[in-house]
Amino acid sequence: MTRYIARRVLLAAVVVLLVTVVTFVLLHLLPGGPARGALGVKATTEQIAAFNAAQGLDRPLPVQYWRYLSRLLTGDLGRSYTLNSPVSTLLAERLPRTLLLTAGSTLLAVLVALPLGVWQAVHRGSALDHLATACAFLLYATPVFFLSLILIIVFAQALPVFPAQAAQGDSLGELLAQPGSLVLPLLAGGAATLAAFSRYMRAATLDNLTEDYVRTARARGTREREILWRHVWPNSLTSVVAMLGYYVPVIFGGALVVESMFNYPGIGLLFWSSARNADFPVLLGVVLVIGVATVAGALLADLAQLAIDPRVRVPARQARAGATA
Amino acid sequence: MSGGRGRRRGLVTDACLLLGVCLVLAGCAGVRQRHGGGQGRPVDGGSASFALPPATAPNWLLPISLPGFTAGFNSGLRNQLFVPLYLYNNSSGALALDVAGSAADPPVYAPDGRSVTITLKHLTWSTGTPLTSRDVELWVNLVRANKDRWSRYSSGLIPDNIAAFRPVDDHTFTLELDRAYNPDWFTANQLARIVPMPQRSWDRTGPDAPVGDADRTDDGAKQVFDYLVEQAKDLGSYSTNPLWQVVDGPFTLRSFDPSGRVVLARNPRYTGPDPAHLDTVTFLPFTSGTAEYNVLLAGGVDYGYLPAANLGQRDKLRGRGYRIEPWQGWAITYLPYNFGNPALGAVFRQLSVRQAIQHTVDQRAIADVIWRGTAAPGYGPVPQIDDDRYLSPLQRANPYPFDLAAAAALLDGHGWRPGADGIRACAAPGTGPADCGEGVAAGTRLAITVLAESGSDETDATMAELKSELSKAGIELTIDSQPLNTVLANSSGCTRRGPSAGPAAGPDCGWQLSYFGTQGSWYFDANPSGEDLFASGASANFGGYSSAQVDALITASTTSRSADAMRDYSTLLTEQLPVIWLPNPPYQVSAIDSALRGVVQDPLGDPQPQRWYWTR
Repeated sequence: MTRYIARRVLLAAVVVLLVTVVTFVLLHLLPGGPARGALGVKATTEQIAAFNAAQGLDRPLPVQYWRYLSRLLTGDLGRSYTLNSPVSTLLAERLPRTLLLTAGSTLLAVLVALPLGVWQAVHRGSALDHLATACAFLLYATPVFFLSLILIIVFAQALPVFPAQAAQGDSLGELLAQPGSLVLPLLAGGAATLAAFSRYMRAATLDNLTEDYVRTARARGTREREILWRHVWPNSLTSVVAMLGYYVPVIFGGALVVESMFNYPGIGLLFWSSARNADFPVLLGVVLVIGVATVAGALLADLAQLAIDPRVRVPARQARAGATA
Repeated sequence: MSGGRGRRRGLVTDACLLLGVCLVLAGCAGVRQRHGGGQGRPVDGGSASFALPPATAPNWLLPISLPGFTAGFNSGLRNQLFVPLYLYNNSSGALALDVAGSAADPPVYAPDGRSVTITLKHLTWSTGTPLTSRDVELWVNLVRANKDRWSRYSSGLIPDNIAAFRPVDDHTFTLELDRAYNPDWFTANQLARIVPMPQRSWDRTGPDAPVGDADRTDDGAKQVFDYLVEQAKDLGSYSTNPLWQVVDGPFTLRSFDPSGRVVLARNPRYTGPDPAHLDTVTFLPFTSGTAEYNVLLAGGVDYGYLPAANLGQRDKLRGRGYRIEPWQGWAITYLPYNFGNPALGAVFRQLSVRQAIQHTVDQRAIADVIWRGTAAPGYGPVPQIDDDRYLSPLQRANPYPFDLAAAAALLDGHGWRPGADGIRACAAPGTGPADCGEGVAAGTRLAITVLAESGSDETDATMAELKSELSKAGIELTIDSQPLNTVLANSSGCTRRGPSAGPAAGPDCGWQLSYFGTQGSWYFDANPSGEDLFASGASANFGGYSSAQVDALITASTTSRSADAMRDYSTLLTEQLPVIWLPNPPYQVSAIDSALRGVVQDPLGDPQPQRWYWTR
């Protein structure tokens, strides 16, 4: 188990390193370079040359990458070209906001989606199951920006129940002190996840309900409720847990739109604006964070699956036994 | 039966619980703010909120900006804290020196124009010390020793053109200049860049170093500047750093969030003639135009703006208590030709071709339809808002109105014949009056590619309109949309200069036309002279336009006392078409609470909140 984890962590580190290489090379292949975008239309030729020299952009690409990597290893992510802040400060400011949004909306979605999926599987074919399915498809097919707009128009403008913008503030405490301001962004951010996971859970539960072990349990006289929650639920959960781990990039992608619509400056928006401004250090910093989050999500999903699903552990053990023999 | 009833009761309980949670959360969320009215008497005090442009945040307070930190909202904010030596705006109805908002009385130029004497007003820093000539000297010394790091530096201009700083007394000083300058230009475009800084608080080389005269040596000035820049780079400390609390403006800095939310509070120690009426003003950052508009509709902003996509919703906002006013910038919008382009540079050097192209631009359609009446047509190098000081009659009249027949006649008359596909090609190479012109080879097609910034429906529509009209005159336009940064980065660097020089080579010369004017291509200082824009070799003369006559007029506009030089410059460049002139979009279309008065939408971009007051 320890060796497996170590191997996966090592692999994850290699993946993250490759992500930085690819991003670094692609960014530096962009025509024109970042100087004019950072300094503006009024910058003189001398100022552009000075900027390129100061940022090391006039050196060969491998030298630039080595410099970036060396600084990265000391925790220095560089300084934004346009925001007058170190990248680490920007990430420290924005990441908690995005985590609050993404974790909150995902948690909300999962808390509703999982029981809903099970309920739908048990009551498959009923009118309410069809209704829930239709709603899920509708939510899944609705672009996040459109859903956000609908929520704002209805709940912030027509019925001024909730604010049109998310909670504002620089600390988590300040954000959490405005719970009403988080309702609409969480709903908008969680809707698609809710729809997707209710479908996954419904399908997984349906699959498990037809398994032999369920038939055996029923034959043994086990109560339906016990079969459902003690046997079917954990087995269905394994595939959904794996799914959740690989869902991290999608969740971050959705956060960009929600942040933009609800005036919530988080990491998604930081990525978008730095891409528009060719702010390379910030772009690399955000890609690094999302890369690490994605790899960590996948890793945690695998580990969680390993922990809760004995069937995953067996082939690993067999492989080890085979190798010893 | 009882189970079903129990389930129903459970559902009702759940629904009630959910409703209760929603009500509690809604209670926490507050209620919509009230807007409108404005028929009452002016009221002193109160607060107002101002929406910053999308995805921007103030990030530089030091009155000497490094390159990249020159955005208008930085200076608009800074002007409230540190009174500039000379402030220009349109509070008098035309763009002019605003004496009340300036730190000094109008400058007095020597008869020979070689020196200027300035007397400071009796302003006081919040530490209690008076504003003196030494505070101006600090700015001059720091800029002189660190000019290569200053965003506004251009070789030969301020501080190079200040030969000496001579204090007369605590409140008066004389600047000796390296030559005679046009006083109007020198005050508006040079002296207006000076911002007195609190020497008795800031003239130190480190946080623990004593305040002294370190700025009077080059090394010392470099160290002081390094120290101040280091402080200016620490956005998180702006609210608490004592440096930024020493102000002489109508407001003080109450709070500054790095994310962009800034609160200014009325400066109780302000001693000048332009005090703030409001107690506080809050600058609000927005992630996008849509987010701002949603908050505006929900009543969360007193002074906001409509994104271009929502211009059709003006009546809706009026119904909610806002007045809608386009905020015109002191700017021009254009598409530069690349005179050094190896394929088409020679074609662009032909005035007849440029005239024909200008005749295909339907400025009225672009301004009225695409920009829904908020853009102002522009026919030359001087901003065309209600100010005739620099504008020539020719530019105002538009010598090249939209006229496809005139465009076709010009091309026909200079040897350009339509091919089978309708695109014209040079059929009469040569330099005669009916020929295509010098350097244009036979068969050269009028097929042009424009590198245009992406991301704006209005820009896309403008380019589509140009393409459509040009095609009717036999000119093919291919639109290559790229992010603004890419457009800017690729629209410069061409080494060949001037319509009369030979063709250029090099990878940077590939672009033909470029457009980066969704929010105006070029914002001027108060005097719209062209030394940065159309002078030979100027830094923003991207297309490499060069004309000795224009250079002479630009020099005259900055050095002679005659007002004719600027108007002659306006006439000549309107005729010569160094670029394709286009309508100038507004800086923004503002939505202002109708009860908030004293608002002047300054073409130079300074919101001047010290003059706002409530009438409700």
